[in-house]
Amino acid sequence: MRVLALLLAGVALAAGGAVWWLRSDSPPPSANIAVAEALGGETTAGYARATAPRTFVFPRDHGPHPAYRTEWWYYTGNVATPEGRHFGYQLTFFRIALTPEAVVRASRWGATHVYMAHFAVTDTRAGRFRPSQRFARGAAGLAGAQASPFRVWLEDWSVEGAGENGLPMRLRAADGGAAIDLTLDAGKPVVLQGDHGLSRKGAEDGNASYYYSFTRMPTRGTIEIDGRRFAVAGASWMDREWSTSGLGDNVGWDWFALQLGDGRDLMFYRLRRADGSADEWSGGTLVAADGSARPLGSRDVGIDVLDTWVSPAGTRYPARWRLRLDGARLQLDLTPRLSDQELGEPLRYWEGAVRVEGTDGAVPVTGDGYVELVGYATSSRAPRTGAPGPR
Amino acid sequence: MTSFLRPSILRRASLRSLTLHPWQVGLSVLGIALGVAVVLAVDLANTTARDAFALFADTIAGRATHVIVGGPSGVPEDVYRRLRVELGVRPSAPVVERDVSAPAYPGVAFHLLGVDPFAEPPFRSLGNPETPGGLRPLAILLTRPNSVLVARDTARRLRIAAGDDLVIRVGIAHRRLTVVGELTPADELSAQAFESLLLTDIATAQELLSMGGRLSRIDLIVAPGAAARETLARIGAVLPAGVDVVSARARADAVEQLTRAFRVNLSALSLLALVVGLFLVYNAMTFSVVQRRELFGVLRALGVGRREVFILVLGEALAIGIVATLLGVGLGIVLGHGLVRLVARTINDLYATITVSSLAVSPGALARAVALGIAGTVVAAIAPALEATVTSPRAVLARSVIERRARRAAPRLGLLGVVTVGAGWGILRMPGGGMPAAYAGLFAFLLGAALLTPVATILLVAGIRAVAGRALGMPARMAAGAVVQTLSRTSVALAALTIAVAATVGIGIMIQSFRETVVRWLEASLQADVYVSSPSLVSNRPDATLDPALAARLVSAPGVAHANRLRAVRVPSPGGAVQLVALDADARGYRGFRLKAGNANTLRDDLAAGAVVVSEPFAYRRHLDVGSRVRLRTDRGEHDFAVAAVYYDYGSSEGTVLMSRAVYDRLWDDREISSLGLYAAPGVDVEALVASLRARAGADADVLIRSNRALRTASLAVFDRTFAVTIVLRHLATIVAFLGVLSALTALVLERSREVAILRAQGFTPREVWRLVTGQTAVMGLVAGVLAIPVGIGLALVLVFVINQRSFGWTLELEVPARVLAQAVLLSVGAAVLAGLYPARRLSRLGLPEALRGE
Repeated sequence: MRVLALLLAGVALAAGGAVWWLRSDSPPPSANIAVAEALGGETTAGYARATAPRTFVFPRDHGPHPAYRTEWWYYTGNVATPEGRHFGYQLTFFRIALTPEAVVRASRWGATHVYMAHFAVTDTRAGRFRPSQRFARGAAGLAGAQASPFRVWLEDWSVEGAGENGLPMRLRAADGGAAIDLTLDAGKPVVLQGDHGLSRKGAEDGNASYYYSFTRMPTRGTIEIDGRRFAVAGASWMDREWSTSGLGDNVGWDWFALQLGDGRDLMFYRLRRADGSADEWSGGTLVAADGSARPLGSRDVGIDVLDTWVSPAGTRYPARWRLRLDGARLQLDLTPRLSDQELGEPLRYWEGAVRVEGTDGAVPVTGDGYVELVGYATSSRAPRTGAPGPR
Repeated sequence: MTSFLRPSILRRASLRSLTLHPWQVGLSVLGIALGVAVVLAVDLANTTARDAFALFADTIAGRATHVIVGGPSGVPEDVYRRLRVELGVRPSAPVVERDVSAPAYPGVAFHLLGVDPFAEPPFRSLGNPETPGGLRPLAILLTRPNSVLVARDTARRLRIAAGDDLVIRVGIAHRRLTVVGELTPADELSAQAFESLLLTDIATAQELLSMGGRLSRIDLIVAPGAAARETLARIGAVLPAGVDVVSARARADAVEQLTRAFRVNLSALSLLALVVGLFLVYNAMTFSVVQRRELFGVLRALGVGRREVFILVLGEALAIGIVATLLGVGLGIVLGHGLVRLVARTINDLYATITVSSLAVSPGALARAVALGIAGTVVAAIAPALEATVTSPRAVLARSVIERRARRAAPRLGLLGVVTVGAGWGILRMPGGGMPAAYAGLFAFLLGAALLTPVATILLVAGIRAVAGRALGMPARMAAGAVVQTLSRTSVALAALTIAVAATVGIGIMIQSFRETVVRWLEASLQADVYVSSPSLVSNRPDATLDPALAARLVSAPGVAHANRLRAVRVPSPGGAVQLVALDADARGYRGFRLKAGNANTLRDDLAAGAVVVSEPFAYRRHLDVGSRVRLRTDRGEHDFAVAAVYYDYGSSEGTVLMSRAVYDRLWDDREISSLGLYAAPGVDVEALVASLRARAGADADVLIRSNRALRTASLAVFDRTFAVTIVLRHLATIVAFLGVLSALTALVLERSREVAILRAQGFTPREVWRLVTGQTAVMGLVAGVLAIPVGIGLALVLVFVINQRSFGWTLELEVPARVLAQAVLLSVGAAVLAGLYPARRLSRLGLPEALRGE
């Protein structure tokens, strides 16, 4: 589950504006719009809500669901060269509706959706993290998504499905000296998260999303760093989610997506309340090597923070964890590949590749994964600053 | 030799001489002050207008290094998608823009700028959008059709609030916009640039301007270096025919170039006013030195060194200069406020949309004016100061010696004058000499003319005595004779007056020549009886289009025998955008062309064969002649056109390329019409036809239907508006000249009080004295006025045939209006008589002992 996008859905409206005004010479007047305010200011009225399980059909559901306010295509992965040089990558596309109403326009530029994309490469050996982001209207062919043939793109960043069912998927993006061209196969069957794909985020009816994942996609292709091209192979994780939800009382979340050496995949998210405690709607899924999934409740996973890291911008993030499952039979220690995998303005958060080492009973377990930390970027426990602050 | 007099005594002597002649000093101060004021005002107005222009251009062009431009119909929008999606070319930003007007705000020029906010940050600082409710300016702008943002100051000024509607006129259509919020500029500077901006989403701009599928341009930032060429080549490869990448610098430079000629011209005219002012200083200082010859003689005899005398006189000049300059700066700022509007309007009429709401008083312009005023005054006083030092104690007694010397020097000075004029002529004729050479030549000419004044005065006065003396009798002869007899004092004053009056004559003739040329050109070129056009905001940029259905309806109206159809557009070319006119007309439509080069008889055939004719300024700017080729970017790619003829045209200073509509239609996809020229059927009254056409067009139609005569009047009104600044400058020069006459003659006359007293002692009645004195001033006025005529005509020749030609490329026919010449003489004599009245009255009433006390 990528609750991040929930936040983004609200702030991107401001953030979208921010790309415009951020670089003007004075600090934006609405720099400190709180998330809650941003979300509250944006009505959910008029949009479809995720209230009941649905039947997923592919490749149709790879395509956009414009009746819902937000939607994302989220890819992360750990890959390595044959010599073992490790890279992590993130390529994410968000669709954000600006209005629930259909607007008839003569101009092809008329838009009711905005697309935002984040792209980052973690170059572990060089110790360098390269994030970038883009915005574009979902019009004039600049950005968009379609089911058949499957394609989601923002300018020259894209994911394209080759076959009938949208697989394999080819990911291409380049910015600031980093580039990826990766091909992802399904690997395991699709996992419908939550209740047959209906993932509830709170007690309120409709505070839920439709959510499915490919948790272990065999990946191969190239990563280019400053003109040097590396042939790489590894595994990716794809999350797809769409909804019209608010954030509730939570101030942020920690999200874990781990691929273990024994073939199991673990997804778990902890929603954090203002007092730092975990929200009861936290949860996850444990996917067996054969693809069968087992839902996890908020109490099924224990998380100990072993270390913290302070970003250059002064934000303190948790930096190492121990996850405990099945009555502590399965213990996993997570270590970031790089300390600094923080994405910058207008939305500051940490999303990075981690190394997994632990034990299942007496059996050693290793693995790779991605962790996302949102809501740490201000000192107070008050609602997060979602919109950009003055630099 | 060192002085035993304390410097304070010298200072007191100096102060006394200044306070003894408050009128003279006051008028000198006023003269310099006015000169400084004019220079400063023009400088400030120019700087403000230029900055506004540059700022606006910067705001609109942003930080682009290159621009993708197309023909009249713009750039296909898919080019942008290909750049971003297929090539990943960024930073790049699409723009859809046009100047529009709003019927509710007549005279306010708006610039509708449609952008993609997501592509903007690297290019433009568009400030912070604020909408009521605060949160989602972007969402509103993107999703609500016809929504615009206006700058906060503009909103206040026009009393528009968020939520209000604003009706704009686009071509013939009215479109209703909704102001959804305000832009808060980051600083004062961008606030100015935002003055006329209607900022909107690109989708809205396309819809409002009926530019579906097209963009006005695409801005690019291509980092310099080795990769730049490769990037540009990659971009070039995907561009369709007729669309090209050009350097943003070249584009901006072309515009800068256009307005520069205008601004340089104004600055030069303003300098003319200062030159006149400096002549006045020179005159005043020379005069005060001549007057105090005896004092200087005594001082020198008492052992005061030459250096001290020199410094004394220069110090006086410095004091006058400082006071006058300070006064001039204050006056200049006030004047600048008025001038800036005129300058901005002229630039608007001629070149582009700028909005200037306030005068920017730049420290640079102030410093220039102060330096010019003070340094100019001191420099003008150097010669008189030197003269004061050479005054030997004995020479003071032999005044007749000085006068004789002055008269003997006159021919030598005259010779020097002839040489200087000749040198000026040479400089003006220098091939390849630009504007600086033109002005150098002009000032050499004026200096030469000044040097010629004494000898000319002697000859002229001899003539006057021969002719008028006999008729008027003794006092008149005496009055005329006195002018020559006191040549040492009168020559400088006369030179100053002559130059001052000549300046007004020269500018007057130049304006009149220009106007007459335009009048004749309009008469010749406006051949049709009725003209139909779309109301265009900017008079010289008729890019608005006519509704095709309406055009057809008007052409087929009863009483219309024939119609010319004209399309005016701006098309890109390797040398910058070109104003192109496509003409669809029969033989009558070509009758209006007066050719500077080329064969009028084959004109139509040449055009039909694909050649073009170019206007004179265009040929001048691009160094073209018959047989040359012009390269234009058509919708089918770049194309060379042979130049069949060069025609006279005063409608556009940047110049025009004209081709036949058939050729245009083959090479461009644009099918619009800009204006119609309708010929009345035989026997049809034109005014009645205009009325019936207006009725046929309908009350709502936003179209201008004007008779030939009305259009001519309207065109001349625009002309007069563009020359308003020049006319103001001429009036200012006239005032300076008037002050010059007044100050010079007042001083002269008062200086002669002793002489008058002797005359009174010899039995002259007060009335006779009065007549003698005013007679003398009148003669001087007459001499200056008469001498100003040839000098003024010479000046006009330079202005018309060299300076205007070089700055605009226009050939003007010299028109010397008797009115201007008569005005000059009247001005000169009038001021002279006025100058004589008060002193003459004073002198004639002076008691004998009192007057003789000077002895």
